[in-house]
Amino acid sequence: MSEFWLTLYVLAWPVIVAGVLYVLGKAFIQEILEARREGRPLI
Amino acid sequence: MVPDGAGLHQLGSWTVIALLVLFYGGTLLMTVFIGRKNENADGYMTAGNKVGFGISAGSMTATWIWASSMYASDTSGYTYGISGPIHYGLWGALMILFIYPFGKRIRAVAPKAHTLAEVIYARHGKSSQLMLAGSNLVGSMVSITSNFIAGGALIALLSPFSFTQGIVFIGGGILLYSLWSGFRASVLTDAAQVFAMLGAVVIIIPVVFFAAGGPDMFVTGAANLTPQQSNFFSSDAFLNQGAPYIAAVLAYAIGNQTIAQRLFAVREDLIKKTFVTATVGYGATIIGIGMLGVMALYAGVAPLDGDTNNLIPQMAATYLNPVLLGVFLIMIIGALSSTADSDLSAMSSIMMADVYGQNIAKQGKANPKTMLFIGRITMVVATGAGLYFASGRLNILDLLVFVGALWGALVFPVIASFYWQKVTNKAFTVSVLVALAMFLPVRFGWISMAGPAGIVVDVLSVAGIGVVLGLMAFGFFGLKVAKIVAVVAMVAAAPFAIGFLHDYAVLSGSLVAYAVSTIVCWLMCFRNTKTFDFSTIKDRIGDFDNRAEANHGTPEPLLETKA
Repeated sequence: MSEFWLTLYVLAWPVIVAGVLYVLGKAFIQEILEARREGRPLI
Repeated sequence: MVPDGAGLHQLGSWTVIALLVLFYGGTLLMTVFIGRKNENADGYMTAGNKVGFGISAGSMTATWIWASSMYASDTSGYTYGISGPIHYGLWGALMILFIYPFGKRIRAVAPKAHTLAEVIYARHGKSSQLMLAGSNLVGSMVSITSNFIAGGALIALLSPFSFTQGIVFIGGGILLYSLWSGFRASVLTDAAQVFAMLGAVVIIIPVVFFAAGGPDMFVTGAANLTPQQSNFFSSDAFLNQGAPYIAAVLAYAIGNQTIAQRLFAVREDLIKKTFVTATVGYGATIIGIGMLGVMALYAGVAPLDGDTNNLIPQMAATYLNPVLLGVFLIMIIGALSSTADSDLSAMSSIMMADVYGQNIAKQGKANPKTMLFIGRITMVVATGAGLYFASGRLNILDLLVFVGALWGALVFPVIASFYWQKVTNKAFTVSVLVALAMFLPVRFGWISMAGPAGIVVDVLSVAGIGVVLGLMAFGFFGLKVAKIVAVVAMVAAAPFAIGFLHDYAVLSGSLVAYAVSTIVCWLMCFRNTKTFDFSTIKDRIGDFDNRAEANHGTPEPLLETKA
């Protein structure tokens, strides 16, 4: 594998993890707000 | 930071104490926030069966990322080169993905279940249930011990504290925040811990990459790799790491109560989304961490004391500044804590529902308060046992191998039990025991593989390949496709596997377990004329707190009517 592809290979994973973090964070905040609005415990 | 004798930088005692107090103190505060004076037994086990996507996906991701998975991926990257982390992280991620179609079926059959073993009890009876529950307990105990060892070793390496001090702090911290609210605490704290873990990965991987030399290290360090290590399609990596792990995918998915617990907890319509997200989150995180091992290989780093488990802390202590080293410590502590608290919840739910609820309490008369007490005592005992085994640094890997084989033997009987009316309790139990009896001599080399024995093992392994791939296909595409995939896989694998695969004891042992349990179970059931009404399962499993929904009537088995 060339230097370029190896670099991409190593750095792609933290980028994907950042994407997952965003999805989870957005959902978590929505659930907190919804629980508050409905007056029920988060869990 | 205080340099130690080995040339690695350490964090000072007060810094480590402050980080651990911040982590466990913060986690404890979260659980106090959700704690109730009178906890509910069902909530202690499955948090009400309606957990949202964000929390359940975060929890599933955090639970599956344990310290050992990070260390193992790193070792795989260092040992097998550039494809190593893929052969650990990818297949490990698929363990989460492949369970969800079966999970939807199990949830439809038993929406109010607390453990998989509880559903197996309703389907078959005691012996099958206790076999699965027993294996779940042992697996969780191994996981807890392993995580304590990882934490103790890390604290000992990165601080002036001893290994024993490290494990006591970690064990105590985890027990403290898990004890009162059980699974509810586990899931919520997991969701928070996942942000710390994944956030750390996003920062640490690029920082180490550029600190170690960036793209230039692939040029200057290329000579450090063997041809197999620099090959993305390395057969070495596939046969020694990937293939055994593929074979373990369904086994770990079925055998691990932490996954099943989340299957029962999440809102039913969110199962697919939750598990797909957790698959991507886990896979990317663990493969990313494995890149540290690959970078170590290119950079010519020799593991301390020749132990590749030291690679991750070594790379961190070499290339990270004090602040990021603290972030790294939190990442590892988060990984092991989120898994250990899930294992404590899993063990407590098994003791509550399977041991007490189904086997000790009279039918329909399980006392929720007693259940809660049992659940909490289980956590205390499990933590104590984990600390005892960890402090002795007992070699638990052989136990993990045994448990993995038991799970492999359970896969077909468990899955078939939810779809095929003809599976009986006797077939379930006998097939698992026979498979285990066949697995042991193959895995541990008790018999010579020269001659006919080797050929028999290879033929069974080929059958095992068909079973594994067939079951994976069955979950997503149904029986017809599964049969085609199984046959094609066996025909394709046979010329390469026969005469050869028995040399790989780990892989062939697992495949033999799958094949034998499937063949024996099928032979004992296919002529069975009795059937089973799956709709009776949900009548037998309900909330323990709501007596109106609990099981009623005579304790008898399983309604089997002639076809």
